[in-house]
Amino acid sequence: MNNWTISLKNLLHKPLYAFLSIFSLSISVGLLLGIQQLDSSIQNQFTNTLGNIQMVVGAKGSPLQLVLSSVLHMDNPTGNIKYSEVEKLVKNPLVRTAVPLSYGDNYKGYRIVGTTAGFPKIYEAQLLKGKEIEHSMEVVLGNTVAQKLNLQIGDTFLSSHGLTKNAIEEHEQSFTVVGIYKPTYNVIDKLIVTNLSSIWDVHHHEEHEEEAVHEAHEEESHDEHLHDTHKNEDKEVTSILVSFRNPMGLMTMPRNINTNSNMQAALPKYELERLFRFTGVGVKAISWIAYIILLISCITIFISLYKMVRERAFDLALMRTYGASNFQLFRIVAFEGIVIVFIALIFGFLFSQIGLYFIISLFKSQFQQEVILTFSTVNMLNNILIVVIISMVSILLAIFPILKMNISKILSDEK
Amino acid sequence: MVKTNNLTFKYKKEEAVFSFPSINIQEQENLLILGKSGIGKTTFLHLLAGILQPVSGSVVIDEVDLNTLSHAQLDKFRGKNIGLVFQKNHAITSLSVVDNLKARLFFSRKTIKPSEIDFLLEQLDLMETKNSKVNELSEGQLQRLGIAMAVVHEPKIILADEPTSSLDDENCNIVMRLLQQQAQKNNANLVVITHDARITSSFKNVITL
Repeated sequence: MNNWTISLKNLLHKPLYAFLSIFSLSISVGLLLGIQQLDSSIQNQFTNTLGNIQMVVGAKGSPLQLVLSSVLHMDNPTGNIKYSEVEKLVKNPLVRTAVPLSYGDNYKGYRIVGTTAGFPKIYEAQLLKGKEIEHSMEVVLGNTVAQKLNLQIGDTFLSSHGLTKNAIEEHEQSFTVVGIYKPTYNVIDKLIVTNLSSIWDVHHHEEHEEEAVHEAHEEESHDEHLHDTHKNEDKEVTSILVSFRNPMGLMTMPRNINTNSNMQAALPKYELERLFRFTGVGVKAISWIAYIILLISCITIFISLYKMVRERAFDLALMRTYGASNFQLFRIVAFEGIVIVFIALIFGFLFSQIGLYFIISLFKSQFQQEVILTFSTVNMLNNILIVVIISMVSILLAIFPILKMNISKILSDEK
Repeated sequence: MVKTNNLTFKYKKEEAVFSFPSINIQEQENLLILGKSGIGKTTFLHLLAGILQPVSGSVVIDEVDLNTLSHAQLDKFRGKNIGLVFQKNHAITSLSVVDNLKARLFFSRKTIKPSEIDFLLEQLDLMETKNSKVNELSEGQLQRLGIAMAVVHEPKIILADEPTSSLDDENCNIVMRLLQQQAQKNNANLVVITHDARITSSFKNVITL
């Protein structure tokens, strides 16, 4: 027999009180830990996805939409821009890399991105098997795509028009899988990567067919060479991912593009920070709700311990006559509170991880985004410290009357 | 050995001052203190147990003056050397009968063999209720548990506050017999404070307040 055993037996003697206290405190701990871990994980994930992309150039529209569509591959693109603009940007001495992106097709909901060899380098993607793209209509699959669609090297598939799963508008030309990337835990895992000419070929083929129907009666003596030149000039991409050689590029180019061209330049870091400011309001709101629940659960602990001290005053007085010191009684009752807080912290942590698992699964299925949970030990310790401090204050307030307990009066009154 | 000398006590916010006769009980002697309600019987018992601090005078148990002990020392001393029996018997409600006895020993900082606990329970006819919760006991069983709690740690003095007042004659005799047996077994002094004159015959030494 020791203080802990007596505390535990006391706790088990009133299981409903113990359950309610543990349950409410667990919920608040779970909410606090979960929401902050989710927020920091998403921020980390988005920030990692940026890689070295400092600027995104695309058609005029919402800069956030441009960043979401071209960097996070979550939204629809703002439109297309001339490929000739890519060529101009590449030649700019301030630009270190300019990676064009062109899309508009998907296969079973996974986006097909036409790009150059620079794109996988942004995410340090390496081939797990197969080879890099050499010819048009060849694709390398992101690791998740390969796993989910069970595609192997040499498999072929027909893409659908648009960025969402759609079996109706299938293109006629088939893509061939020539490689699969190793997992990067980044957005490229969810993409089907091909070269620009594949996208142009698929769309040119269709345009050509349409033209053939509409221009069937037009003159046959059309100059083939001039037609091709015209097509080259008409080549378009969705956006360009740019990194600069030095900060001067970042300071001058976005303004220059936005003012002097019919394109827009968006700064992904700035746009994502803006996005986080909006989502941060929700995070703060949920955190405040969690703090309120924490306060309520601490009040519950206070009430149950205080009630216990009052109801079991005679038990406590008896213990004093048995030789227990005030401090020993203090410890016995405090241990009950500490056990509640300790169990609640464990359950709260478990709740947060189970909750996060479901939220991340939802995120995965809704936005095709893999979120890797990051664990900020400092944040977690801060939250635990807050919970422990508030709980301890309520425990101390509840058991304070023990110090003022008049054993003689309690024993006499009980007669 | 228990000795008091000119004990007086005054409750805070009250005018009345209680004065108690000096007593001197030698080894293995028992004492009955008789008195009407409101005369300060329980106060006297609490002074003897060191639960209350006297305004003046002293309580000496086994040659230790309780006035000279700090709070912590007094708690320890009480735990080791004094056993208390109350009119309405209580035990720690969240613990079983045997756990109550173990808790009593823990607070007294004493250890005895489990077989000795069983022997005590047998003597007090509580063996069948060994693992029962306190709230499952009858009044009689609770009374006997109260006696067990007062003697399990082999105290030097057993103080009983109105142990028979609410009992019929038969049970009154049983309780007194048990208390005296246990006191004798432990070589302890038994001090009973009561207004119940039925038990006067059980004592050689009687003081009236």
